[in-house]
Amino acid sequence: MKVANDGTSRGNGGRRLGGHGRDATAGLAVAGLVAVAGAVGAGVAPASADETSGSDDELIFRVGVLQDIDNFNPFKGITAAAYEAWALSYDQLTGFSAEDFSPEPRLAESWEQSDDGLTWTYTIRDDAVFSDGEPLTADDVEYTFNRILDGQVEKTNYGSYVAQIDTVKATDDTTVVMTLKKPTPIMERLSVPILPEHIWSKIDDAELRDYANEPDSKPVGMIGSGPFVLEEAREGEFYRFGRNPEYWGKQPTIDGVEYRLYRNADALVQALKNGEVDFADDLDANVFAALEGEENIEARSSDYYGFNYLTFNAGAELVDGTPIGTGHPSLKDPEVRLAIHHAVDKEALVDRTLDGRGTPGTTIIPPLYPEHAEPEEPVTFDPEEANRILDEAGYTRGSDDIRTMPNGSNPLVYQLYARQNSETSQTTIEFLAGWLRDIGIDSTVETVSEGRLYEIAGEGTFDMYEWGWVVEPDPDYQLSTFTCDQFSYEVANGTIYAGLNDAFYCDPEYDRLYEQQATELDRDKRTEIAQQMQLMAYDANAYIVTEYYDYLQAWRTDRFTGFVPQPDPGGAVLFQYGIFSYLNIEPPDEGSASGSGTESSSTPMVVGGVAAAAVLVGLGAWLVVRRRNSSADVE
Amino acid sequence: MAVTSPVATELSDDSTPGGGSGGLGRFIGLRLLSGLGTLLFVLLFNFFLFRLLPGDPAARYRAVKNISAQDLARIRDELNAPVMEQFWAYLRDPLALQGISAWKGQPVWDLVGGRAWPTLVLLGTSTLLATLIGIRVGIRAGWRRGGSFDKVSTGVTLLFYATPEFWLGLLLILTFSSGIGPFPSLFPSGGVIDSGIEPLSMAGVVSVAEHTVLPAVALAAVYLAEYSLIMRASIVDELSQEYLTTARAKGLMDHVVRRRHAVPNASLPTITLIFLNIGFIIGGAITVETVFSYPGLGLLTFEAITEQDFVLMQALFLVFTVSVIVCNILADVAVAVLDPRIRT
Repeated sequence: MKVANDGTSRGNGGRRLGGHGRDATAGLAVAGLVAVAGAVGAGVAPASADETSGSDDELIFRVGVLQDIDNFNPFKGITAAAYEAWALSYDQLTGFSAEDFSPEPRLAESWEQSDDGLTWTYTIRDDAVFSDGEPLTADDVEYTFNRILDGQVEKTNYGSYVAQIDTVKATDDTTVVMTLKKPTPIMERLSVPILPEHIWSKIDDAELRDYANEPDSKPVGMIGSGPFVLEEAREGEFYRFGRNPEYWGKQPTIDGVEYRLYRNADALVQALKNGEVDFADDLDANVFAALEGEENIEARSSDYYGFNYLTFNAGAELVDGTPIGTGHPSLKDPEVRLAIHHAVDKEALVDRTLDGRGTPGTTIIPPLYPEHAEPEEPVTFDPEEANRILDEAGYTRGSDDIRTMPNGSNPLVYQLYARQNSETSQTTIEFLAGWLRDIGIDSTVETVSEGRLYEIAGEGTFDMYEWGWVVEPDPDYQLSTFTCDQFSYEVANGTIYAGLNDAFYCDPEYDRLYEQQATELDRDKRTEIAQQMQLMAYDANAYIVTEYYDYLQAWRTDRFTGFVPQPDPGGAVLFQYGIFSYLNIEPPDEGSASGSGTESSSTPMVVGGVAAAAVLVGLGAWLVVRRRNSSADVE
Repeated sequence: MAVTSPVATELSDDSTPGGGSGGLGRFIGLRLLSGLGTLLFVLLFNFFLFRLLPGDPAARYRAVKNISAQDLARIRDELNAPVMEQFWAYLRDPLALQGISAWKGQPVWDLVGGRAWPTLVLLGTSTLLATLIGIRVGIRAGWRRGGSFDKVSTGVTLLFYATPEFWLGLLLILTFSSGIGPFPSLFPSGGVIDSGIEPLSMAGVVSVAEHTVLPAVALAAVYLAEYSLIMRASIVDELSQEYLTTARAKGLMDHVVRRRHAVPNASLPTITLIFLNIGFIIGGAITVETVFSYPGLGLLTFEAITEQDFVLMQALFLVFTVSVIVCNILADVAVAVLDPRIRT
């Protein structure tokens, strides 16, 4: 508010300055210009002074992001940006290695399981200290897990990790014992931030709902044992982390991390080019292409763990078996789904929707994970084969060239949906409509919001649509999306909600394997089962996995070097399952680099600012002079 | 655009008719009352408006995190209290004073407050620029209709008027932020302030000014064009009026005729428009704020709708409603002060 007032008073000051003009409006116009010029002119000198004082002694890694940190409270936030922030400030028991996501020690130096797999004992490192100076002990681990086990809101983000945990007990300062209801391999991958009991025990269930967990919260927020600590959070604009001097591991070279929020990819790319940020995350293919070959910028297209897919309504039902929805009967026939799979040109989709930055997809666990299964004979793009299959199965073309069910009823006209917020989704569905036409299937296309599509999916009132999944290192959750008990369900008032299974694919054998992998503690055996399951769903054409898309990132090589990909090689360098790059990056040339980056970006700013101010003042003066001359003419 | 006929008395005359101020008082009172009525209607309307939005708000939890069906159901239950129950809760707290944003988990008025000052800075700067330059250009173009200044300025302003603000914004970023050819990088491409600076300090003011120049210019260009075109049209309408002939016949110089007779009469429509626009810009700078990642109320509105945050939307629409109503009243009052005939 004060700033707005100040801006106004500047304008008033300018009015006196311009008051000698005959025409009041001319004076005011000049005043306005002067106000702006003044702001620009004034903006130049102190800004550069400030920048040098700031960056000479501080090496801040500035990351431009397109997604906001929705909430710093680890029980409330859900965006990837929020998870990245917690990873900077909080430690977990175990981490994921940079090489291949295999479990590695973090707060837990070591862990062992009993022979029956029902008791897990974690040894907690004794040198971990929270950023407020309090030591981190096994009691904090016990507290965090019990809070989730006893909580409701707490389960939103971490429920899946504790589903099989029965009790959690700290037996001494460095030992935590967990007992399970059923053995589960997730115990090596517990992605739960360990919170300080002395802070969080002051926040009861009611307070938890609106506890912001920020530095100015009460009690003070973001107190963790990780390498960075949140210093300044300016909602909707930037979030700055400093170094945690108490961190138990090797201190990072950088003094801090700053996330700057951009609302569109174009502005983010410009910010990277002019040196406002050092790193640009999650770019679109079209702006990414513009960065390749730029001086001092490395543009990296990394393998990622997300995929896009087309789903079929293969017979929507509630979990109890009640048929629901308006799905076309032909899609219950695996032959029809196979034919459509043959009609889809994935290469074209990768080229047209991702600008080539991705690979055609097959199964639901992406190739960068060791659990990925690649079918021996993938379904090829072959419209003739598709037509042959449909002809053979008896779906003959009518007079209008549209196929009907084998009994002559129900022309094959499908209802397709695309997602409003995704251009990829809309392009894919447009292409799909064309490909379907080639094999004698007509369709209507509608674009809806994701929220609406989620309703449509649950109610089964679609034939096909496009969406995507992001897959965790542990395959359990993704595999669970094809189990029978993830069908839609009905609540008391008759409303139907979607489960996870939006293909309505159900195979008892698949479910049996799912239960088996969930308790299999031998990693190789579990991988084998997971692969078998993926291939089952692939052969049944539950989904058409259209593409595994790349993750596009770019950074200034004149500012930082030493980024660590995950998995190594080929993976993304930030927004990983871990914070390897933050701990490892350093200026490219020790000594000179810390100041040079900002210097090179601020010098033209100073020159430009002065130039702009001069132009504006000149323009104002010109207006006054012009006015005088023209009045003089008249008089 | 209808233009009011000439004002009988010279506006700059210091003698105001005695009955005038009483009439003005009653006029203002009536306007305030009707504004209050509108506000009450909007408060009720807002509640149902947002609940007509399609979609399942719990969808945002899907595919983001592996959340179990039971937890999804619990989240839905929280969001899905019966509409009448929600309505009673709303009536008890229509201003959402206790409201917590579902998206950010903070009190909504904290969010709105934090985003209000950037919008006010942007609004103030751009309105100032647009008004001062727009009116001035319009007067000059209209007074010498058909002259070279008129031809050039009308062409330029029409071009600006037809330019979408967000596109102009992108061009400004390309040119003045990243720097093209001879242009160095002058201004930051996003945000409103740099980190580690107090907004109220000198460095803070400077940083805010730096960040505001481009979005303010983008916003001002479009409104400037609108004001100057309307001002020009009004002036042109006044040119043929007999009172101007009278004024000239009295021997007044051209610029006096213009300043004291033509401009006051011609400025009424523009003044109304400026006030009305202020009301709308508070919520309407959405595209510009998005392009420049400028964390103001327009951007917050965009985010609230994207995130289906009902409570936040309610609070924001309340702010916008009030600002439009207040600016409407201000516009009416301003015109009434300038033109005594309207008061009766």
